[in-house]
Formats: sequence, structure tokens, C-alpha cells
Amino acid sequence: MTAASSEARAARPTLPPELIRLLLRLAAVLIVGVALSLLSGAFLTVVNLVNVLRQAALLFFMSSGLTLVVITAGLDLSVGATIGLAACIAGTAIKSTGDPWIGVAAALAVGAAVGLLNGMMVSLLRIPSFIATYGMLWVLQGVTYTFMAGATVYGFPHGFRELGNGYFFGMPIPVLVMAALLVVGTLFAQRSIWGQQITMIGANPTAARLSGVPVRRRLILVYTLSGLAAGFASLVFLARLNSAEADIGGSLTLPAIAAVLIGGTSLFGGVGTLTGTFVGTLLLTLVLNGMNLLHVEGNWQPLVTGVIIVAAVWLDLRGSRARS
Amino acid sequence: MKRVSIIALALALAGGAAAPAFADGETIAVLTKNQTNPFFQAERVGAAKAAAAMHAKVLQYVPTQPDSIPEQMSQIDDIVTKKPDAIVMVPVDYKAMVAGVQKINAAKIPVVNVTDRSAGGDFVAFVGADDYSIAKSTAEVLLKAIGGKGDVIIIEGVRGAATAQDRLRGFKDAIAEFPNVKLVDSQPANYQRLQAMQVMENLLQSNPNVAGVMAANDAMAIGAMDALADANSKAKIVGINGTKEAVDAIKAGKMLATGDYNGFVQGCIGTEIAIRYLRHEPVPSKVTQPSVVVQASNLGPYDVPVDKRECPAWDQIQKN
Repeated sequence: MTAASSEARAARPTLPPELIRLLLRLAAVLIVGVALSLLSGAFLTVVNLVNVLRQAALLFFMSSGLTLVVITAGLDLSVGATIGLAACIAGTAIKSTGDPWIGVAAALAVGAAVGLLNGMMVSLLRIPSFIATYGMLWVLQGVTYTFMAGATVYGFPHGFRELGNGYFFGMPIPVLVMAALLVVGTLFAQRSIWGQQITMIGANPTAARLSGVPVRRRLILVYTLSGLAAGFASLVFLARLNSAEADIGGSLTLPAIAAVLIGGTSLFGGVGTLTGTFVGTLLLTLVLNGMNLLHVEGNWQPLVTGVIIVAAVWLDLRGSRARS
Repeated sequence: MKRVSIIALALALAGGAAAPAFADGETIAVLTKNQTNPFFQAERVGAAKAAAAMHAKVLQYVPTQPDSIPEQMSQIDDIVTKKPDAIVMVPVDYKAMVAGVQKINAAKIPVVNVTDRSAGGDFVAFVGADDYSIAKSTAEVLLKAIGGKGDVIIIEGVRGAATAQDRLRGFKDAIAEFPNVKLVDSQPANYQRLQAMQVMENLLQSNPNVAGVMAANDAMAIGAMDALADANSKAKIVGINGTKEAVDAIKAGKMLATGDYNGFVQGCIGTEIAIRYLRHEPVPSKVTQPSVVVQASNLGPYDVPVDKRECPAWDQIQKN
């Protein structure tokens, strides 16, 4: 991906390497899809594919902000716990005021505030992101459990639930929001100056600082965006599930990280795209969908998921090494 | 010197006042598994109510990380030094916590085991419900309601958890009693609502004509219920735990039934046994709650928030 290698490749006309990688990943999804449609008659139906997209959307909202964090060579382990707290506070706010907009504001504010704190711990206090956000995970869980005291809030207004359940021109609203976020996010990450600065920080923080990138401010921005994405995801969860309980986010963080890594974003920073993450969420969701459709026995499901995650990342790495 | 004797006198008076014919104001440590499951919240409220009614105090111990073995272990170390009069305990793990129970036994603090039966150690009594029979009787209600025929789906809890295994066994044994019922799929959703919803969405694709769904807890039942409603399925659904949310769904006609695992009553009875034992009254060594399946016809007592419920009268409790 350096200037030298792209000059060498410019000798004969080729597609941009990023596009090739994306197409290869989409081909992997296609192979899984073809295999599933051969194995199960129920797979290749409009309803099932729409279900898969909507399930992937929930995962993508979390993974989108997380992708930016991983591009800076960081990690945000608190996204699931952020969703838990934001959903519980927003749910309680909607129940007690009857006004969904207060809930929306609360969830986004909680998400952004958590992200801001994470960003400040990482950039100003220089705490490794793994530790800072892991600590944050515990703090958020403690706050959420205390706040909810074992209760469940449920039963939200119909209008609010459209965010998770509604359709627009036959497409689920979460899927349309995902498409919009994918376009805007990709433009931001790939085309904007801030996005390029974020990639530079991940590739080489010293070089980024020396060339005048405001590293601290960009890091704070990235973690805040990750928190904000989790806050937004919590709203879609609330609208979709019509309820919130304290452990709602507990099992969400690792799949979100897995989707980012399957999508080709490197844990070492400097490399990664939102389109890749989208493909990662799609692949992960397809695997779970396929296991249900093929009646895979419960004990085998974690094993199958694990093998596919590792295999997907390995193939992706092999593919990019082979081309460079 | 004078001051010392005044303090001694005051202490003697206070001690005399606090020691009537039967003891009062005992401290009971209550150990539960987590702060996330409404079941244990109900159990803590039950314990506090029973203690308050008998003029005793409760100290609640809950791991911050749900079901954490090391945390409950260190809580026991803490309790053993503080020496409460008695302990009411739900082990976070019925095998791993045996070592903790042995520490309590060594410190000679009487302990009552509630909800999940410990694999070892000495207890004053065990108070619990039987996962297997609750699951079986709940499933039977569903299978009768669908006319004893058709396709059914099971949504399982966490693979490897004792509760999930017993409930799955109960569901399957009930299905075996109905030769015209076919179990078309049984998939785990780890007691999580979102996973249950997505698993149900997926399973409906290969089994659109499912007649009944049994879920190993209420959160999963309600997640699956929403997926069924989205697909305009008429399948009937049951869950387990008797949560307020499930009772509301039954009242609204969206869910058929929920197996009662009444944590509130378990908390009441366990604590009452501990206090009565301290007061040298006779106590049963085992109380197993009868299985009750909450349906539209009998949901009255469950339609009350936990903190407004009353502990059952001592002579109403089934002792065995």
C-alpha cells in the first residue's frame, strides 16, 4: 500500500487494491451463501435474506465505530457495556416521560460521554486502550446493574419501535440506516482529511505527530464516535426488542470485534475499511443463520463459529500478502 | 476509671435489653448469584421481607460480575470473618462452591442452601424448585393447548449450565408423552432475548408451520414471541421464571404460560428457616416448591410487583 508499490502496479491498468480486497471478501460471502442455498431450501428466500440483513445491521452499528478505533491500533472493549447502560437509561427515560426523543437524546449522550472518557484515558493519560476500555466495561456494568437492580423495562411507544421493526419500501429501517451509515462512514474514513489523519495515526503515530496531525484530538474523536455508535445501536436494540435489561450488552462485544477483524481491519492499526467490516458482519450473521437452518447441534455451534472466524482472517491475511 | 465503669454499666444494660427469652435482631447474610436476573432480585426482596417480619437484619452479597466463582469465594472469606448469625446461600456454581461451603461449615455458621442445590457441604436445609418438573409441566400445558399434535421448537439456555440441561430434559420428556407432536428443532439462545429473537427468525424459515415454542426462560420466550408476531405465526409459546413481563404478555394473550420458579418465595422460606433455626425452633431439612404453571386462568397472584408481595405463611409451606 506504499507509494512505491502502487507506482510499480501502475505499469499495467488494474483495479485499486482496496477494491480487489473488497471483491474477494464479497466472493467469500457469496461462496458461503451458495453453499447454504444448496444445503437448505429455506436459505435463498427474500424473507430469510432480509432477516439476515437486519440481524447484520444490529451488529454493524456497533462494529462501525469500533472499526475506526481499531484503525488507530486501539481497541474498545466497552461497546457492549455502553449499549447496556445507554439502553437501560434510554428505556427508563422513555417509560417515565413517554417521550421517545428524550430517550434518543439520553442514549446518544451516554454513548458519547462514555466514548469521550475512553478517548481521554487513551490520549491524555496514555493508558493502553485495552486496559482503559476494559476498566470502563466494569464501571459501566456496575452502574447499569445498580441502576436497574435486576428489573426489566419494557413496552415502548409504537412510533419509536419503527426504528427497529419498521419497513420503508419493503426494506427494514435498520438495513436502510446501515446502508446510509456505510456510505457516510466510508466517505469520512477514506476521503476526508480527518479520516486520513486517523489512518496515519494507526500506521505510524510518531510520523503523524511530526507531520502536524493533532493526534490527541483525533483519538478522542475516534473513541467518542465509537461510543456514539454504541449509543445509537442501543436505540435500535431497544426498538427491536421492546425491552432492556442490565445484561443486554454482555454478549455483544466479542462478535463486534470479530466482525471488524474478519473485515480485514488490522489490530496493528493503519489498515481497515467500513466496507470490510460490513462484509465481516454479513459473514458472521450468515454463519449463525446457516447453523440454525441446518439444525447444527447446540454444542457444536461455538466451535463452528470459532473455526470460521480464524479461517476468514487467515485467508484474508494470506490474500493480502500474496498480492503485495 | 469512672468513665470505664459507666461504659461497662451501659454495655451491661444494653446487653441485658437485647437478650430476651428468644433472640431478636439476628444478622443473616444472603448470597445470590447476580444482579441481572430478576429471579435473584425477587429472591433478595423475599429474604428481606421475611427477615423484617421476624425482626432480623439481612446483609446482601451479590457478585459484581454475574455468577463469578472467585467473587463469591472472596465474599465467603469476608463473611466468615464478620460472623453473621446465619447464612442463606445460592451457590454461583453447585460444584465449585463446595469449598466455600466447607469454609462456612468450619466457621460453624449455620447455612441454608436455596435455589441451586450444592453438591456438598453441611446445610440446615435446602429450599428450591425442581427445574426438571417445572419445565415438564410447563411444556405439558403447551402441548395440550396445541391439541397434542404438530411441530414444536425448543429454545435452550446456556449449554453446560445445570438449569438449562434440566429444563431441556423436562421439555423433551413432556414431548415424548405426545406421540403426534414432532420436535423439529432445538437450538440454544443462551438465555438472551436478542439471540432468541434471531434464532426464532431463522428457524421460522425452515419451519413456517410450527405450532408451539418452548423457551427455557421468559426473556427468550418474549424475544421469540416478537419474531413469531413479525412473521404472523400463530404458534403458542411458553417460558420459565414467572417474570412480571411474561405475566403481562400472558394477560395480553400473546404468550400462553410461564413456569413458576418463584424466587421471591424461595428467598422468604430460606431466610425464615435460618431465623427459626437460630431461635431453636423445629425446621424442615428440605422444602421443594410445587410446580405451578402461570396461565391466564391463575395469574392473579403473579400480577403483583415483587416488592408488594407477602411471604407465604409458615404453616402453608410444603415441607418434605
